Amino acid sequence: MRLYNVKLLTVTCEIMAQNLVKDILKKHRITGYTSYEVGGMGDSGLRGQGLPEEKNVKIEAVMTEESAERVVEEISRTMFSDYAIIFYLGDVRVARMEKFT
Amino acid sequence: MDILAIVQANLLTPIVLFFLLGVIAARIKSDLRIPDAISSMLPIYLLAAIGLHGGIEMRRTGFEAMILPMVVAIALSLALTLYHYQILRRLGRFNIFDSYALASTYGAVGAVTFSVGLSFLQSQNIQSEGYMAAILAVLEPVSFIMSIFLVNSAVSKNLKKKEEQVAISDKKMIKGQASAVALPPSALASEGNGVEKSGARKDSMRAVLHETLAGKSIVILLGSIMIGYAIGEHGFGSIKIVFEDLFFGALVIFLLEMGVVAGQRLGDIRKVGPFVVVFAIVIPTLNGTIGVAVSTYLGLSIGGAVMFGTLMGSASFIAAPAIFRTAMPKANPSLYLTSALGITFPYIVIALLPVLLILSTFLHGGEGPATGLFG
Repeated sequence: MRLYNVKLLTVTCEIMAQNLVKDILKKHRITGYTSYEVGGMGDSGLRGQGLPEEKNVKIEAVMTEESAERVVEEISRTMFSDYAIIFYLGDVRVARMEKFT
Repeated sequence: MDILAIVQANLLTPIVLFFLLGVIAARIKSDLRIPDAISSMLPIYLLAAIGLHGGIEMRRTGFEAMILPMVVAIALSLALTLYHYQILRRLGRFNIFDSYALASTYGAVGAVTFSVGLSFLQSQNIQSEGYMAAILAVLEPVSFIMSIFLVNSAVSKNLKKKEEQVAISDKKMIKGQASAVALPPSALASEGNGVEKSGARKDSMRAVLHETLAGKSIVILLGSIMIGYAIGEHGFGSIKIVFEDLFFGALVIFLLEMGVVAGQRLGDIRKVGPFVVVFAIVIPTLNGTIGVAVSTYLGLSIGGAVMFGTLMGSASFIAAPAIFRTAMPKANPSLYLTSALGITFPYIVIALLPVLLILSTFLHGGEGPATGLFG
């Protein structure tokens, strides 16, 4: 079966920042993502305890390499200074390329 | 009047004891937690119950009585926020974002603190005016909206200045001064960022208004007041078992959860510094006293004045993070959360409420119902 190379962007950020990430995805015409609430440990200490507003959220989206570059540039520029947030990009392969362009 | 009896009666209530149990559980690193879904549901339930009661009371007493207290409450809340800001900015030397965030956290009202206040009065067999719930609902967004508006206009003014400076340095660069390029790249990036943000400032203000006015606490509170008003005493009978009889039990469970959350924050108190600790104790005391005095002057009952003082003295910790992380992300959340939840809330629950009641009783001539209770 023919599989196509695309990028998987995974963003883990504080739950109050998730809409900003989703807006950036939307702005760059990424139409789909998966998100789930998570906890964990990082620079901001232990997350996912305490108030519901102090949880983290993990957002995954598959996209082309060009889109991924634009998205991570905007996330880095607009969000790194103010929010608890990390992201990483990975290589993945998908069967239906048309869903991710 | 037996002051000791009031203090004792307030300390040995299920509310305070379960709160302390939560704090202890957190300190000994117990895995005791209220499940997530329940701890998200409890504030909604509490606000619904407060709103329903308020609505029913308002139907009985009419609107006229509440107009003056409400206007005064709004004016006070705004004035308090502004003076907090001056204190924090000038004496505390906080940056503009932290100052406004803290100022409006303490200018705003705490719905949980309000619930505890109601239960405290109930335990003393004291009634309060039903329209307090309506004042709670109206006060909730006022202080936030003003702060965010002020911080936005201050930032855009600052931005204009910076743009002018950049324009001047650009001209210098054209004249051949290579040193003008010495702006660090991060400064340039944030500059560009800021310009972009100022363009989107109207959008962000709209987002803030939406966040505050369509936020779950306002919607459920205002909605329940209207429903309470519509159904009246008669319609309330069928849901009384949930919204009246269960209220204090549910509040106790919520306080256990709040105790755990506050207990987890105790370690952060050292990080916020002595200024904030003093601020988090002195300001609520002062504001609560002002609230009791003003509302007594307005003719509110002993219980009403205590609730009014509680509204003025309390700090918001449920609504604040949701609003500030969206509208004012540069403000440090651990500052306003730790002070409101870790210091002020326990202080009000344990110490300030009885003090406000004693003060209110005293201002009402010292011969309030409290005497009957303990005399």
